Amino acid sequence: MHPKERRLGATRRDFLMRSGGAALALSGAGSFLAACSNSTTTGGGATSGGNPNANNPLGLPLARPNVPVTIPLYEQPIASGMKPETGGDFTIFNYPDYIDPAVMKAFGKKYGVTVKVTPFDDINSGITKLASGTVQPDVTEMTPDNIARVVAAKLIKPLNLDYIPNLQKNVWPSLVDPFYDKGSHYSVPYTVYTTGILYRTDFVKEDIPSLTPNPWDIFWQAQAYKGKTALLSEVRETIAMALLHRGDKDINTEDPAKINQAVKDLQELYNICNVKVGDLQYSTVAERKAYLNQAWSGDAISGYLFYADKESKQALRFWNPGNGNGPIQNDMWSICSTTKKPVLAHLWLNWILDNTQGYNNFLNYNGYQPPLTEVDPGQLVKKGILPETLSDTVLTAADLGPTSLQEMTLTTQGQQLWQNGYSQFLSGA
Amino acid sequence: MYPRWLWPAFALPGVVWLLILFVLPFYAVVGVAFGSVDPILLTAVPAWNPAQWNFGWVTQVLTELQPGGIYWDVFVRTLEYVLLSLAGCVLIGYPVAYYISRHASRTKSLLLILLVLPFWISYLMRMLAWINLLSPGGYAERFLSATHINDLLFHLGVVSDPNNYLGGESFTVIIALIYGYIPYFILPLYASLDRIDRSHLEAARDLGASPWRAFLHVTLPLSRTGLLGGAVLIVLPMFGDYYTPNIVSGAPTTSMIGNQIDLYFHGGPQPTIGAAITILLSLFLVLLMGYYMWTIHRASRDLPA
Repeated sequence: MHPKERRLGATRRDFLMRSGGAALALSGAGSFLAACSNSTTTGGGATSGGNPNANNPLGLPLARPNVPVTIPLYEQPIASGMKPETGGDFTIFNYPDYIDPAVMKAFGKKYGVTVKVTPFDDINSGITKLASGTVQPDVTEMTPDNIARVVAAKLIKPLNLDYIPNLQKNVWPSLVDPFYDKGSHYSVPYTVYTTGILYRTDFVKEDIPSLTPNPWDIFWQAQAYKGKTALLSEVRETIAMALLHRGDKDINTEDPAKINQAVKDLQELYNICNVKVGDLQYSTVAERKAYLNQAWSGDAISGYLFYADKESKQALRFWNPGNGNGPIQNDMWSICSTTKKPVLAHLWLNWILDNTQGYNNFLNYNGYQPPLTEVDPGQLVKKGILPETLSDTVLTAADLGPTSLQEMTLTTQGQQLWQNGYSQFLSGA
Repeated sequence: MYPRWLWPAFALPGVVWLLILFVLPFYAVVGVAFGSVDPILLTAVPAWNPAQWNFGWVTQVLTELQPGGIYWDVFVRTLEYVLLSLAGCVLIGYPVAYYISRHASRTKSLLLILLVLPFWISYLMRMLAWINLLSPGGYAERFLSATHINDLLFHLGVVSDPNNYLGGESFTVIIALIYGYIPYFILPLYASLDRIDRSHLEAARDLGASPWRAFLHVTLPLSRTGLLGGAVLIVLPMFGDYYTPNIVSGAPTTSMIGNQIDLYFHGGPQPTIGAAITILLSLFLVLLMGYYMWTIHRASRDLPA
């Protein structure tokens, strides 16, 4: 969620708690996918988490960084070389305030359309609305763990990458051809973020990055920060953090014993620090309402750029677990099946991957970085946009890869397991 | 003469209103609780036909609502919060309603306006105001600190940290619930007190009752329907409340059963569980409502002709 949205108390990242789900999509789309199973490719090696045999009978495995999946085309993309449609409205389906109005306005001006946003509260309600036909947008925000089910329901269209040269030109190589959508048949990336710890050095005395054996342990040593310590209110993120605290990097596990242990560990935090859950960390930490918070890297940047006073700017720190040690995710854009302007929709996807537009959207409004090669942490520090102390909030292409930890689609049973575990934690019992 | 259907027809808009905005939505929740989940979109697929109901979800929730189950503690906590908040509303609201109905002659209109005033501001905004009031340095926090009430609350074990009311305290959630719902309690109570015939009180005093005994034996029994009406008005929404603990606390240790409903309804593969909790909670509340209806019925029956 963009800070401007979350200021109202809503939660953008609820999708992590509320979704998952492409496992069911895959099983529901079994016949469709099985018919296209020739176009499904899998990488070598073991799956990074979850049940390695899940959905094999249906012809399509659950996507993982080391198990890339090609989602088959259910129809041909539009032909190359067509002129963009002009006039009328161009509708973006997105979280509220997750894209800079100036970026939309410039696009509308260039192509002679009025760009409008139809907002959704969370990705699941967005998908439900798309499926019901109550909204008919041109493009939509999407997430990797949901892409299979929206393709199965034919809610998004295949892409013709000829219209999106910025994908090859500007985007990190790992996301030009992402494991969850090999060949970028249906999506292009939008933002990227990792999950770490946002804290204030004026209150938190421990050197969190140096904590051994595991910096995540700080939450279990936070007696001094009782009432000032919080976790993300997300099913996946919260339980994954407890798994990582025990050194278990299988953050897509569907092992009930592991989930139960993680929930028990989380429940210990009641007495240790009366831990809170929420999604306002970008402001609460910057405004001293919390001292220690599980957070996304974008929160650290947003907090620093938009919420912190001078003193807080000096005190804010973000611990980035690093490649293979903490969850890393990305959001995406896709073209809706309902679009009446398919060429223009492709051009929107290209527009958002333009270096200037992406950069402006990131630093002038959003706070969540685009996976563009031009976004260089060193340059941001050199230009004085971010301090050296927060330089590791900015991710690089090296952070994504086969060894990265990504919270991906679980089977239905897996989702139930995780949700019930979180329910147990949330009950405060 | 008027046709026989005329007077019943006046009830028609209300009946239609109830059908569209209560019965149908409630039946939809029932359908979801006894239904299934779409395998692709993970959305609820309600079972409209009772012959096709799947009782598995409701049974599962019922099991978890028993002692030792996942929802037992949070249900008990919710019950405690609601009862304590109700007690707070009675303790604060009754004197206010009594004063307005009995002693505020010229200022009555002004006081009633002031009572209604909070309705002009959204509940969410009023709750958010408490964040600033109770934050370190906020007016409420400073007042509690200056008067040493915070020390008293700490020594009594009411709060675990006298300087951090927003750190996940049950006390804060209960105070916020009282603040948020008390206008809904006072207004029906005031209406009830205002309707009491003063001659009853005069008769009690003439017969030698002290003011306190007159209140205890005349005013209080006659205001029972108002008390119960106000209680029902606030208890029902309080049971389903989840945003108040979210805003002023955020700690799982202060979560309410509404937070569980919110969790299951807002995504994931089990909206059916959210619906099942909802209808079981509704059944519990129906019992409370039933007691209220029975009391009203008995009170009207006992009224002198």
